[in-house]
Amino acid sequence: MKRALWIGLFAVAAVLPLLLDPRGYWIRVLTLTLLFAAMAQAWNIVGGLANQISLGHAAFFGVGAYASTILLVTYGLTPWIGLVVGAGLAAVAALVIAVPTMRLQGHYFALATLAFGEVMRVVANTWASLTGGPVGISVPFLPPNPLMYSFKTGLPHAYIALGALALVTLLFEGLRRSALGYRLRAIREHEPAAEVIGIDATRVKLIATVISAAAMGALGTVYAQLALFFDPDTIFGVAPISIRVALIAIVGGIGTAVGPILGALLVIPVEELANDVLSGKAPGLSQLVYGVVLIAVILWRPRGLVTFFTARRTAKPRAPGLVPEGQRTTP
Amino acid sequence: MAIVQAILDGILIGGVYAVISIGLTLVYGVMGIINFAHAEFLMIGMFAAYFAWALLGIDPILAAPLAFATAFVLGWLVQRFLIQRVLAAPSVAQIFLTVGLLIVLENGALLLFGSQFRSVNTPYQTMSLSLGPLFVSVPYLAAFVLSLLSGLALWQFMRRSWLGRAMRATAQNRNAALLMGIDADRMYALAFALGVGLTAFGGAIILPYMTASPTVGGQFVILMFTVVVLGGLGNVLGAVVGGLAVGTIQSLSSLAFPIQLQNLVLFVIFILMLALRPEGLVGSRR
Amino acid sequence: MTAILAVDGVSKRFGGLQAIADVSFALAAGEIVGLIGPNGAGKTTLFNLLVGLERPDAGAITLDGSAVAGLKPHRIAARGMTKTFQNVALFSEMSVLDNVLTAGLLRHSVAEARDLARRCLERVGLSAIEASPAGELSFPERARVELARALCTEPKVLLLDEVMAALNTAEMAGVLGLIRRLRDEAGLTLLVVEHHMRAVMSVSDRILVLNFGRLIADGTPAVVARDPEVVHAYLGAPYEAA
Repeated sequence: MKRALWIGLFAVAAVLPLLLDPRGYWIRVLTLTLLFAAMAQAWNIVGGLANQISLGHAAFFGVGAYASTILLVTYGLTPWIGLVVGAGLAAVAALVIAVPTMRLQGHYFALATLAFGEVMRVVANTWASLTGGPVGISVPFLPPNPLMYSFKTGLPHAYIALGALALVTLLFEGLRRSALGYRLRAIREHEPAAEVIGIDATRVKLIATVISAAAMGALGTVYAQLALFFDPDTIFGVAPISIRVALIAIVGGIGTAVGPILGALLVIPVEELANDVLSGKAPGLSQLVYGVVLIAVILWRPRGLVTFFTARRTAKPRAPGLVPEGQRTTP
Repeated sequence: MAIVQAILDGILIGGVYAVISIGLTLVYGVMGIINFAHAEFLMIGMFAAYFAWALLGIDPILAAPLAFATAFVLGWLVQRFLIQRVLAAPSVAQIFLTVGLLIVLENGALLLFGSQFRSVNTPYQTMSLSLGPLFVSVPYLAAFVLSLLSGLALWQFMRRSWLGRAMRATAQNRNAALLMGIDADRMYALAFALGVGLTAFGGAIILPYMTASPTVGGQFVILMFTVVVLGGLGNVLGAVVGGLAVGTIQSLSSLAFPIQLQNLVLFVIFILMLALRPEGLVGSRR
Repeated sequence: MTAILAVDGVSKRFGGLQAIADVSFALAAGEIVGLIGPNGAGKTTLFNLLVGLERPDAGAITLDGSAVAGLKPHRIAARGMTKTFQNVALFSEMSVLDNVLTAGLLRHSVAEARDLARRCLERVGLSAIEASPAGELSFPERARVELARALCTEPKVLLLDEVMAALNTAEMAGVLGLIRRLRDEAGLTLLVVEHHMRAVMSVSDRILVLNFGRLIADGTPAVVARDPEVVHAYLGAPYEAA
């Protein structure tokens, strides 16, 4: 039953781009929706499976985007290879930030990743000789050539985004069902118990983080080739990237494969519409609504929109009375 | 000599950073959550003081208690109706509730007040005193003195008053506090309200030498967290040490680096502290 | 006696409290040893030190020849020692089978671990409920699942922390029989913390008594039951081993 739904969804998504104007506005919205769903799914690997909340995933995204673009500009290297390089560099970046901080508790890790994202942003703004600085960097205009990731219309970009979403979702599901997935679930439920039955919590969470970062880095290249221009504040931005992808995953359903997709379907088109309608008239209104939606979801549907479709009863967060011995209020 | 001046300025500013950040560490110490929206209350304090000046002609430094009160009330409401409900939830809910709050406060202010920068004009704004070869900026000094006073007031409150001790008891062992008849939830609300109130107070007293805007919180976020992490999350005395340290580091690095890189120095210190010594310079390993 | 577990001069302090003070004992392979003592004596702390959830301040712990004091829990599990939790720490959202399977991943692939998990569940008599979510079971059932999970790590030494709490006499007899079978058939060495005196005295080859972090007795049940210090600290009156 579930598999049929997935196949149906994929079929619809595969056909949809063909119905839209290949140079138009809506195909771009569709592509962005698919791309952000993929990004949220990448975040979901570490935020959902490993339960390590990253507020700095933009760091990996930007590393990937800059890597492939700089290689293209400097050496004429095809972005397809640049994508792989970017993913690798993002994985290295993940090791750099995660190795010292993985053993820290949830809030500390969130802080560290937040700071790391900001470090990358400042470095990109300052190291102008490499990145072009605050002015940003443009992907050089090339004659259409699939091997060089350059296309005439928006149609191939939509399919690449769809393919990326499919791949990252398969990656998510694959991890979830693997030994790593079992271990991550155990750590999430009761870390000390997981440890005494032989799970190296730090190592397992680290692996999930590196995989998530690599995926995010690859998606950075996909974005770069789509947008053809970006600057440090956009690509390393806390609000536009880091918080947004986490928000999408949470609103849709953290830890589920369909969550990021549901979340993106809700958030991205609505955002685009809101920006169009309000543009300039009420600065901050669309973001304000964003924040209100996030708070509302956290308070009333913390497991995300997906719970509207599943019958499972979820434990409601209740105000703490007596807490179990040895705990602060945070379980 | 430039170095000595920088250190002096750093200490003066650092005292303020301490007051601004003490609330953040207090909230973590008592409730166990990191309030990602904390810097937004600085912005609220600034605006409260600004409007007291613009509409009522009150000097921002005198309006600081008003800023404190505004944030205190707002903070109490936020804690009671929003934060209280996620205290037993997994950390993802807690983190994103305060992140959502950050977004709401910042953009709410943007909507209400517009994005323009606002500054005040006070008679002492550009005055400075001479201390031998050194200059002591009057607005810095005023802010520092007030920070000191409010810091002492907090210390007395925590040590001597019943509420202060009740709060500390709740922080150390919630169950025991409940069994002693302390309303732990009310202690949480008090800690949160006090914490954001102090930050708003800090916002008011720095208005003479800073500009207010809805996005000013963003400038202070990493700074506040660095202060708190240097001192050890939850360690109120540590926040003082951290504040002075950050102020001095920032001041000294302004001699050597352009503004962009100054922040970088702070970020890197922040990450290193988290990675190597999460209990802070002053704290002991739990 | 070639000890499979040797504890030598282990101490642990928490702030002002000396939780474990200079404790030394040894377990021979195949022994069932009971660990008793008043509440707060340090029994769970001792277990945590043995499995690596806490680091000792001083002393040595040797498991089958290798030094394990201060190692992280997953390494100690890999070398063959694990424990069950006093208040049962199951992965509530996972099924019973998945709970046990996860422990098998220490030494096996997912498929192999699943088979091993089924065998462990059979051993504790819970095969029928393998698909139930662990959070929906009764407390005695959860205790058994946790026991099965610990078994699935294929340990040499198994530490049981009050697995018989809240059991009636019949259920207790069942668990006692299981403990004996684990030793007889699977060759495990067991260290068992229990408050039910009759139960622990009947199943143990030897008894260790902990009081205020110190080991005050180490001997056969008959001897320990008469030890005046043990009586004074814990038993109340000379206990007749039934």
